[in-house]
Order: sequence, then C-alpha cells, then structure tokens
Amino acid sequence: MKQIALYGKGGIGKSTTAANISAALALRGLDVLQIGCDPKRDSTRMLVQGRLIPTVMDLVRERGDAGISREDVVYTGFAGVKCVEAGGPEPGVGCAGRGIIATFQVLERLGALCADVVVYDVLGDVVCGGFAMPMREGYAQEVYLVTSGELMSLYAANNICKAIARLSSRTRGTCRLAGVICNARDVRGEEELVGEFARRIGSTLVGFIPRDPVVQQAELNRKTVVEFAPESRQAAIYRDLAARILENRRMDIPVPLGMEELETLAYEFTP
Amino acid sequence: MNSPLEGGCTLTGALSVTTEIEGAVTVIHGPAGCAHHNFSLFHALCAGRDDPVLPAIVSTDLSESDIIFGGEESLERTIREVAAAGNCSLVCVLQTCVSGAIGDDVDSVCGEDYGVPVVPIPTAGFLGGGFHDGHVRALLSLVPPARGGKKTISANIVGEKTLEFEREAHYGEVSRLLSAIGVPVCTRFVCRSSVEGISRLPQGAVNILRDPSMVAVGEHLEAEFGTPYVSSFPLGPSGTICFLEELGEILSLDVSTAVAGEEARQERIFWEFRHLRGERIRFGEASGHADSLGACREIAEAAGMAIHPSGRQVPVPDPFPVGTGGIRKVLSLWRRACRARV
Repeated sequence: MKQIALYGKGGIGKSTTAANISAALALRGLDVLQIGCDPKRDSTRMLVQGRLIPTVMDLVRERGDAGISREDVVYTGFAGVKCVEAGGPEPGVGCAGRGIIATFQVLERLGALCADVVVYDVLGDVVCGGFAMPMREGYAQEVYLVTSGELMSLYAANNICKAIARLSSRTRGTCRLAGVICNARDVRGEEELVGEFARRIGSTLVGFIPRDPVVQQAELNRKTVVEFAPESRQAAIYRDLAARILENRRMDIPVPLGMEELETLAYEFTP
Repeated sequence: MNSPLEGGCTLTGALSVTTEIEGAVTVIHGPAGCAHHNFSLFHALCAGRDDPVLPAIVSTDLSESDIIFGGEESLERTIREVAAAGNCSLVCVLQTCVSGAIGDDVDSVCGEDYGVPVVPIPTAGFLGGGFHDGHVRALLSLVPPARGGKKTISANIVGEKTLEFEREAHYGEVSRLLSAIGVPVCTRFVCRSSVEGISRLPQGAVNILRDPSMVAVGEHLEAEFGTPYVSSFPLGPSGTICFLEELGEILSLDVSTAVAGEEARQERIFWEFRHLRGERIRFGEASGHADSLGACREIAEAAGMAIHPSGRQVPVPDPFPVGTGGIRKVLSLWRRACRARV
C-alpha cells in the first residue's frame, strides 16, 4: 500500500491536484482512497459530482463513535475512487486538529484505511500536532509539497519541511519528503524557481502543472479534469504526474531553508 | 516536592475559594476527571474536619466531540441546569486546561441571563498559572460591585487559605485580638461566607490579609473601595503587638489597654514555659518561611532558649500559628521535641 499526503499553503490547489491524481490512478485500475483532512470538506467534491459527503466528524457528533460503520463514511466516486472527508468544527470554535486525530482513530477502527494507494489531502499548513498527525503516525509515508513560485507559498512549503524534518528524526518516524509539485500561478521563471527550491531543500520537482482554464471549467461542471476533459493537455499532465508519483521511490529528509535564504532565492528568480 | 497548596493548578486554587461560599455552585468546564479529582480532594478534606458538607461542584463533562466542536453549548446547558435546580444563589464557572486550550468563549456564555448571578473566573487548569494564581483570581473575580454601603468600624478577613488544617484556629485568634480592641469582623472573604456576606465587603474599614501573598487582592480592594489593608495575620510576640498598633492607627483607636493586656498574656505564657530556659535548640534548615523563622527566634529568645548549631532540632510549624495563642502552640511543640531526648 502506497500512502501519500499532499501538504501546502491554503488555496494552492491541493484538493484539485489530489482529486485528479486519485482519478488518474483509479483509471489505471488501482484501488484508490482519498481522505480530505480539512473541516471545509471539499477535497473529494469533484470525485463525487460536486456533493459534500457526510463527514466522519459529523457522524461522530450525531451518533457517537460507536454508531458508525465503514459504509457511512466511505463514498465511491469517479472510477471507483473511495472518498472520505474528516470534517471538523464550525470556524472559530473547538479544535479541528483534535478532530483529525479522532477521525484517524475511527477510520483505523473501521479498517477503512486500506487501498492500493491512499491519498491524504491535508489542510493548508501544519498548524498544530493534529494536522501533523497523518505524518507523525506513519499514515502518510510520502509527503508531496504543493507550491507555486509565490513567496508565501514557498514559505508554507518550507515550514512543512520543518515538520517533516522534525518527525523523521524520531526513531518511529517513517515519514519522508517524496517531492515538490509546482501548481503554477504564472509567475515568471516559476518552474526554475520551484525546481531550485526543491533542490536546495534536498528534494526534487516531480511535477509542473501549468495554469489552464480547463481546470475551472471542470470544476464548474463538478468533475475532475481527468473526467471532464480526458483528451485535454491538462488531463495528460495529471495522468503523467500520477504515473510519476506511482513510480517515485525517492524519500528524503528535507533541509528547510532560513527565511533570508528563502527570500534571496525568490528574489534571484524574479525578473 | 511542592505541596498541593503551592503546586496545584489554577482550578484547585479557585475551588478553594468558590467551594467556601454557602449557596454557590461551581461549574467546572472540562472533562469529568478534573471535577472528580478535585471533588475527591475537597470531600476528603471536609471529612477530615468532620464537616459533612459535600463540595457543590458540577462538571460540564466535556467529551472528545465537545473538544473538537467547541464546548460552549455544554457549558450553557450545564449552567441552565444548575440555575433551574433553584437552590443556588451564585454560579461560579471555572475552566480547565482543555476548555482553555480550545478557546471557548466562557465570558460570553456566562453573560447570558440565567436568573442567578454567574461569575466566570479566569482559570485554565495548569495553563497560565498555579494554585496561588487561581486563589487570587477567584477572589478578584468575586469582589462585589462598589455600592454606597457605609463603612463601619469593622474588619474584613481576606484571603484565608481555606485548605489549611488550622484555619479556624488562626481565624479564632485573629478575631480574639480584634475583639480585644472592640472591632468586629465584617466579613470573611471568603471562608464560610455567603453571597450576602461577600456583598458587605465594602463596609469593612480595614482588610486583614492572611499573608503577604494576598497583597494583590489588598491593593485591588483599596483601589476599589478605599479600604486600607494590614498585610498579614500576626506572627510572634512583637508581630502581634504591632498588629494591634497598626489596626489602632488605621482605625484611629486607642489600643494601649489591649496592647498591655496582650503583653501580660505573653509574659504569662513565657512564665508557663520557664522550664525551657537554657535549652539549646536549632531550627531545621529547609523549614519555615523567613517571617516564621523571625518569629521563632524571637520566641526562643523571650523563652530564654539558646539557638546553637549543636542544639536540639525543633520544628518550625508551617503554617505558623498566629498571634499570642500561636506562641503557646510553638512552645508546646518545642517542649515535646526537647523532652524526646533520651
């Protein structure tokens, strides 16, 4: 079982990337499970025709931990991708990080964490131990950083490197950095910049996703690009990325950059 | 190791105040375990004092789901249940580490109308402080609003350590000294008090703090009601005399008769223990605070005992017995230590 996690700045396109990778892997005949670890529960929407599926946390709230079965939380989407949403509290109350921990305990108990490939799509940044939980407990063994060439996006990616470096230094730690994915924002020199960032943190750029209006069109039609426009160039890019991830054996303990180094790097590549 | 008094959390510190108020119910906003441990502690203490009263503690019994989704609804529901039961005149709300960590807006929930006064006390288990912080914050939160009540020649007793085993003995000695100068106790803030008693706090003409650790409360009451304070219960012979003189000055009373009477009483005690004259004693290194050690030296000297490194080790009681009555207790302890010699 291959267990990958996508981390990166909020709004960078992790869910779109995750859903398209899951769809592409499923079309190759693999049994794929995608788990959205974000209270706004929109990770799997494009895989289930735009629905917001019931979340693990909503069901725990309604029925209690014991009243939930695997069928209640696992929904089948496009090409048979199994979809789970962790869910969480309303904004401004409670502790979503604790919600992630509770969700994994429920999924573990239900035996729901099994597939050829499990894709964890984790909220924006590793803001607390709860959100680092998929990494820490060895659920997510391969972390992909999703970033653009924008400074704040690189900053978030660099922060996540710190979390990976910290967790992988522990004897129990099995989590490693598998690579960097650039979800382009049309910043000039973006591919080179993100490639250089990946190199400096001791990793590699595994995929460059250019900006393309078909992504928005697919989203408006409540589908992944892979489903909505399978012949498009963008769909081919997602399929190619999925194939690379499947074959990727690279596992690094990253070396995070200092803030100054990060800024200098971004400055060097800005025309 | 810290004693529970020094090393407990803000919750236990605040409970040592709120559980003393007759008619008050304390809601502990957190998992049931926090309430259970504290209930056990206070229950055991009451039982040890042959006091059959169970501490009025209710838990919001937060579950994991409350922690994830927020515990404000549980808190509101619990306060409503407590208020609806109809047998309380005050609800005090304390937070635990858990509710503090997830950031429940306790002040807003307590601000709703429940038909009884609801006082949130800023505690959060071990977050942000220890037992002493909880004790002080509870007192500060319970200060009644300033009202036009007229001051009378009377004293408030402020910041008693309610978990102290000898607390009633200490209080008894202080009230004896007060009655010697004709000053009644207005209210105890708070030890065996009621909500009505607490509301009389502004009427006291002087606040007598249990010890200097309560100065923050004394300062606050002085700023709020213009009431001056004496910073500690009296310790040792001269400490007791100074205590009377300080009160005399603050309240503009002639205390000379009371002072003379107290000095005579002290003389009698030292005469009673005259057989200890010439005993060589020393005090344990780690025992007692600076004030207690000062009082010990004075008592030893007045009793004609010699403090010497090779002397018999005698205890420095903690808490140190207060007032003239305390001198007798200390000398009794030391006599026992001296007689234990083979």
